[in-house]
Amino acid sequence: MKYVIFDTGPLISLTMNGLLPVLEKLKENFNGEFIITPSVKQEVIDRPMKIKKYKFEAIKIKNLVDRKILKYSSDFISNNVLEKETKKIMKLGNGVLRSQKNGEKISIIHEGEASCIAFARLCKCENVIIIDERSTRLLAESPQNLKKLIERKVHTKISMENSLASEFKEFKFIRSPELMFVAYKKNLIPLKKDKQTLDAILYSLKFKGAAISSKEIEEMKQLA
Amino acid sequence: MKEAGHVLDVLKKVKRLIQEDNSHEIKILSNQTIHQATLSQDPDNIIVAVLVYSIGKILERKHYRNMEGWDIFYNSLLKNLDAGTVCLANDDLSKCRISFGKIRASLNKIDGNLGTYIKDVFRKAEINKAFKIYEHGISSEKTAELLGVSLWDLSSYIGQSSISEAHISMSMPVKKRLKIAEDIFQ
Repeated sequence: MKYVIFDTGPLISLTMNGLLPVLEKLKENFNGEFIITPSVKQEVIDRPMKIKKYKFEAIKIKNLVDRKILKYSSDFISNNVLEKETKKIMKLGNGVLRSQKNGEKISIIHEGEASCIAFARLCKCENVIIIDERSTRLLAESPQNLKKLIERKVHTKISMENSLASEFKEFKFIRSPELMFVAYKKNLIPLKKDKQTLDAILYSLKFKGAAISSKEIEEMKQLA
Repeated sequence: MKEAGHVLDVLKKVKRLIQEDNSHEIKILSNQTIHQATLSQDPDNIIVAVLVYSIGKILERKHYRNMEGWDIFYNSLLKNLDAGTVCLANDDLSKCRISFGKIRASLNKIDGNLGTYIKDVFRKAEINKAFKIYEHGISSEKTAELLGVSLWDLSSYIGQSSISEAHISMSMPVKKRLKIAEDIFQ
């Protein structure tokens, strides 16, 4: 079994760009499951369902769950077990960086992202986490860069606990743009297959929250 | 409240800058408060950051001063800013919070458009500060939680951020990440 674990951001950017039907086609071509955790469900279905501005988007995502395109993590790992592991991940992740000014830990990651990592750790299967926001990816892939970024912004020296940071090295992350790149390559986007279409999709994902640079987008277009 | 001394200093400066009608300096001051709020992630620090930024924006819009209800808001702002500062100096945090809350509550007493406009300034200030905290390296979901804003609202702001363009934000070569994506969908 393979799992693609969705954080909140990619589902928001895919929904806001009208790309959920492409996600559905990707699932049809995927030998595994698309997963959302309870914390992610809270952010993409439960909360927006109560906000008129986003209720329609929430209904569209719920429809994918109803049709088993997206599955709840509880179908595979109990919520209790996931919750315990999520707490562990949050403790680890939010202990990596400390302000040297007052020694306080800098809380970086939230329950949503932590629950995706927790599921990836518990599932014992091939998996990828789809996460559009930058901080969690940096924490796992380049904590040194995250440290530098925060130091620059807050004008304070930050210390890093390398042993805690190394706990995140094992996880694999992609973003919604890479997901749509795969869909483009597999001819799953119901539009003319050319670089203009790819360019438009990648930039629209960027402008709806995917942390990707223009340089990365240009490189992706070259590789398509 | 964490770093109460720093916040107290900020509030005193804000009071002076309001009297000098210097909205530009108030907004600069709000950036300093956001550095602090990023580190502490203390809700009270964040409330002050939003308040200071909102005051800067409100004073910048000079036409508000001619609108019905301006005096009610302005007097409440000065009075409660003073009261909040005194309470904070006396370490009475709960009264301090009440005073800051009264500034926003005064908007409910205003008839006409001004109340709606200023409420909108506060709401946008919350999203703006959430966006700033995100730019400071905190995850989008964490910042949304800290500011009590919707991630759906925050997403478009994040999309406009130039921080993703920074070399420091790139943690893996494009080819390598694409390979991860292509491998799982093989």
